[in-house]
Amino acid sequence: MKIKSASAFFLLISALAFFTSCEDVVQIKLDEGSKLYVIDAFVNDMAGKQIIRITTNDSYFSNSLAPAVPNADVILKDLTRNKQFKFDYISNGNYVMNVSPSDSLGLVDHQYELRVTIDGDVYTSLSILKRKASIDSISSQYFDGNSGFGPPGPPYYLCYLNAKDKTDANPDYYWIKTFRNDSLIFSSSDINVAIDGSNGAFNIEGVDSTLFTPPMTFLGFNQFSKGSTCTVEIHSISHDTYFFFIQAAAQINNGGLFATTPENVKTNIISPSNAKTRAVGWFNMAGVARKTTTVD
Amino acid sequence: MTFKLTVLFLFSCLLGFSQEKATLSGYIKDVENGESLIGATVVKQGTNLGAQANEYGFYSITLPKGQHTIDVSLIGYQTFTFAIDLQKSITKNFELGEAGQDLEEVVITGEAADKNISSVEMSVAKLDIKQINKIPALLGEVDVIRAIQLLPGVTTIGEGASGFNVRGGNIDQNLILMDEAPVYNSSHLFGFFSVFNPDAVKDVKLIKGGIPSQYGGRVSSILDVRMKEGNSKRMAVTGGIGTIFSRLSIEGPLVKDKVSFIIAGRRSYIDALVKPFLKASSPIKKADFYFYDLTAKINWRINDKNTVFASGYMGRDIFGSTVFKFDWGNATATTRWNHIFNKRLFMNLTAFYSNYNYYLAFTANNGQGFKWNSNIINYSGKADFIFYLNTRNTIRYGAQALFYDFLPYNATGTFDNATVKFLADKRYGVESSVYVGNEQKLTQKLTVEYGLRLSVYSYVGKGKAYYFRDTIPNTTLPLESTKQFSKGELIQQYVTPEPRFSMNYMINKKSSFKASYNRMAQYIQLISNTAASTPLDVYTIASNNLKPLIADQGSVGYFRNFRDNSIETSVEVYYKYLQNQLDYIDNADLFINPTVENQLVQGLGRAYGSEFYIRKSQGRWQGWVSYTLSQTKRLVRGISNDDWFFSRYDRTHVLNTSINYDITKRLNVSVNFVYLTGVPGTFPNSKLQVQTLNIPYNTDNIRNNYRITPYHRMDIGATYNFNVAPGARYKSSLVFSVYNVYNRRNAFSIYFRTAPGDPLQTQAVRFSVVGSFVPALTYNFNF
Repeated sequence: MKIKSASAFFLLISALAFFTSCEDVVQIKLDEGSKLYVIDAFVNDMAGKQIIRITTNDSYFSNSLAPAVPNADVILKDLTRNKQFKFDYISNGNYVMNVSPSDSLGLVDHQYELRVTIDGDVYTSLSILKRKASIDSISSQYFDGNSGFGPPGPPYYLCYLNAKDKTDANPDYYWIKTFRNDSLIFSSSDINVAIDGSNGAFNIEGVDSTLFTPPMTFLGFNQFSKGSTCTVEIHSISHDTYFFFIQAAAQINNGGLFATTPENVKTNIISPSNAKTRAVGWFNMAGVARKTTTVD
Repeated sequence: MTFKLTVLFLFSCLLGFSQEKATLSGYIKDVENGESLIGATVVKQGTNLGAQANEYGFYSITLPKGQHTIDVSLIGYQTFTFAIDLQKSITKNFELGEAGQDLEEVVITGEAADKNISSVEMSVAKLDIKQINKIPALLGEVDVIRAIQLLPGVTTIGEGASGFNVRGGNIDQNLILMDEAPVYNSSHLFGFFSVFNPDAVKDVKLIKGGIPSQYGGRVSSILDVRMKEGNSKRMAVTGGIGTIFSRLSIEGPLVKDKVSFIIAGRRSYIDALVKPFLKASSPIKKADFYFYDLTAKINWRINDKNTVFASGYMGRDIFGSTVFKFDWGNATATTRWNHIFNKRLFMNLTAFYSNYNYYLAFTANNGQGFKWNSNIINYSGKADFIFYLNTRNTIRYGAQALFYDFLPYNATGTFDNATVKFLADKRYGVESSVYVGNEQKLTQKLTVEYGLRLSVYSYVGKGKAYYFRDTIPNTTLPLESTKQFSKGELIQQYVTPEPRFSMNYMINKKSSFKASYNRMAQYIQLISNTAASTPLDVYTIASNNLKPLIADQGSVGYFRNFRDNSIETSVEVYYKYLQNQLDYIDNADLFINPTVENQLVQGLGRAYGSEFYIRKSQGRWQGWVSYTLSQTKRLVRGISNDDWFFSRYDRTHVLNTSINYDITKRLNVSVNFVYLTGVPGTFPNSKLQVQTLNIPYNTDNIRNNYRITPYHRMDIGATYNFNVAPGARYKSSLVFSVYNVYNRRNAFSIYFRTAPGDPLQTQAVRFSVVGSFVPALTYNFNF
């Protein structure tokens, strides 16, 4: 998947070398879609605030936060140890549970059920918390800012991830999140997901690279300055969550000569068949490996 | 069907031998360079009794013994008229001279009814290279494929997209033949230029409907490109220096009138021009980006009865740097033997080889890397016979065996500690076919052509066949079992009878009514779910999981000529129905996937439309205007709520205009104008916010629910010829052209994204491949 997008990108670059292709922001009129609930439930095993967000879909060109759904009842159940957690509404559609450092919401190999009740309709989803990767270190490298194209820029550092996943025939899927000075670097082009620490081209049973390999380890080529911190979290995700990200990334920035056919992302939220409003969205329980380093 | 055909043949035979007759046969060639003249006609004056020179310039006409006046003619050439007292069968070769350089309106004398009226062919467009040369071209590069896109019924999804769409067919539904060998990727630089070197091309024929039985293997069209044989009279050099390519070709006799050759090459040189201006430290200093092709042909006329040809093509696009390498290209080789058994039986034996492959590699500094290649190879042998039974019947029959040897991928990954190989099983298929067809003049006014092609396709080992369980539409089918097959063992077989029929009813000498029906089968399809096909896209052959693509097409047309055939007009209406067209499940994983077949779905397609065409091909003003009104839809289980949706190359209105005018003998100007309804696109009607991402979403789940803005463009060109004196040896010309002269940014697509730098702002973006006008200057020479 990654290979494919990388090569398509290169193809486009080569085409641009010959032609004056261009992109312009244009005004167009789109129809309004029917109302959907959007459940954004990426929960993990870390202490602190765990957030599940419930909104509705919004006009495509709206430039505000999605309309909040404040009247939901949000329950997370650990089916394996038969324990349940209630998330409380705060604001902007966010339902929060504060997890104390001594406690944990998530345990590896446990199965979880998300139950969201809105206006009497119960929306559900299941997820198993997958085993975690381990981070050895984060290293950094100095660049003088002279790329060879145009005038030189300021010097910067790139950070590299050195991490391992479990070696056996079962594939592991990860979402690698990078933070600069504790703020998440995230856009559609920063979705860094991996199969067995490699780039997804090696999605074949029995093949395991042990060490995380490029391009995953490049952390999206994000630049850091001296003295800033680089934090990496590796979230264990399910096979389906991996493809949710792949599909979302393909849909969010789907331009150029080799754009793929636009399609609706798949969702793992189950709506009751007679629901007044259908719900879409994603639920994943993750185990997190985390490490911080100061760039120097 | 077979029974009926047999009866008809017997009937024909009886007709044929009821009178004392004699046959006139031979070759028709160009007097200047000895090139055979495809499609030249030999007609008994005042009748529709006649014959057309075949793909090799051979004709045969059988007439009652006695006095006849015969016209030998071809558009653009002086008609040769002679009287003959035909008492026994004789061989007569003709050499026609080009119609004079006289620019006055040429009045064709005699009764030579125009071929577009009298011929049973319909839905056929022919362009000779002289016409193609006059069309203003992108960056001044004369291009066969781009010229074809100006014809009715032919469209493309946009600049830079490879291939072309014929009457609602996908790009993989066109059989592109270069001297009878199929070319799998007809483009250089994605879709900007075609692989055909105009200096080596003689004749281009596009058949969109009423496809005769000798052709098969693709369902929407046949693009039959014939290369020049090489000047058999004298050595000649042709070349050009353009903005993108430089071209050079050399042709000539090795033994005068016996053995001739042509060798033609092109190479792009933008890399050579750019490199001196790059800093030594620039990462693209060591990069390669160029494309080239080489076309060669030799033919040996052994005697009046035997001619052999060998031709080959090789072209490649190369991009790369120290860390990245990507190249792709086609190679084809064809050998042919023309043999005349007797005055009435002509045979052509062909053997060809065709190979399309690509190679992609990344190498990181630390030795980690990735390599990937894929190829599709064809080997084929075929025999075609033309039996000129009598004046009223021309029977064509033959057989072909085509072997597919297909490597979906061979990838190698190198890590710190290991090298991992992913080698797909090769896949093999054999497509065998036999055909017979007869063109029969039933009456003075009514001509019919009927035939049957029977294709038998076998998907064979050695290899592993995958068997899937059916499940919810538009999801990955679960693998149920696999089975290993040994070499040559049959895995799956498909047999498709493909009936063909066309008719021409000549209302009078100036107008005719034509109708046709054909069924076509296709055993190979391109896997591509991107807007434009990439060179990485692989073909896949029919298998136990993928059924062959079948198309039925019917068309009717009215043809009318005006002003002594100098103006041709036609109206055609067609309907096409396709089965087992490939589509893709959502989120399909199409690369390096051993079970790629469970990412594919097959659906129905339908296309219909009407094509209006007016063309003037003589005089100082020449050119054509065509208008097509059409619709193309698809129906695929699990996609777009199981309802018909527009295919991505649907264009409601298409207007093409191509006009050129000779101001003086030296100066020719030309203009193109095209207008096409925008292609459909799938637009969201809302967005979902998940993990701060703005994911576009269409709550109606309808594919291709909007249309992007219309495409229109004007190109202009001017050609100045330096030496126009008759008999001048060194001829040269300067061609100036401006593509997209009024500087329109035509949308290739409209897509949706989160605004850079503002995670809450979403916007629509128009992507234009050619964002401004493109001027170009080309110098051509010939001596």
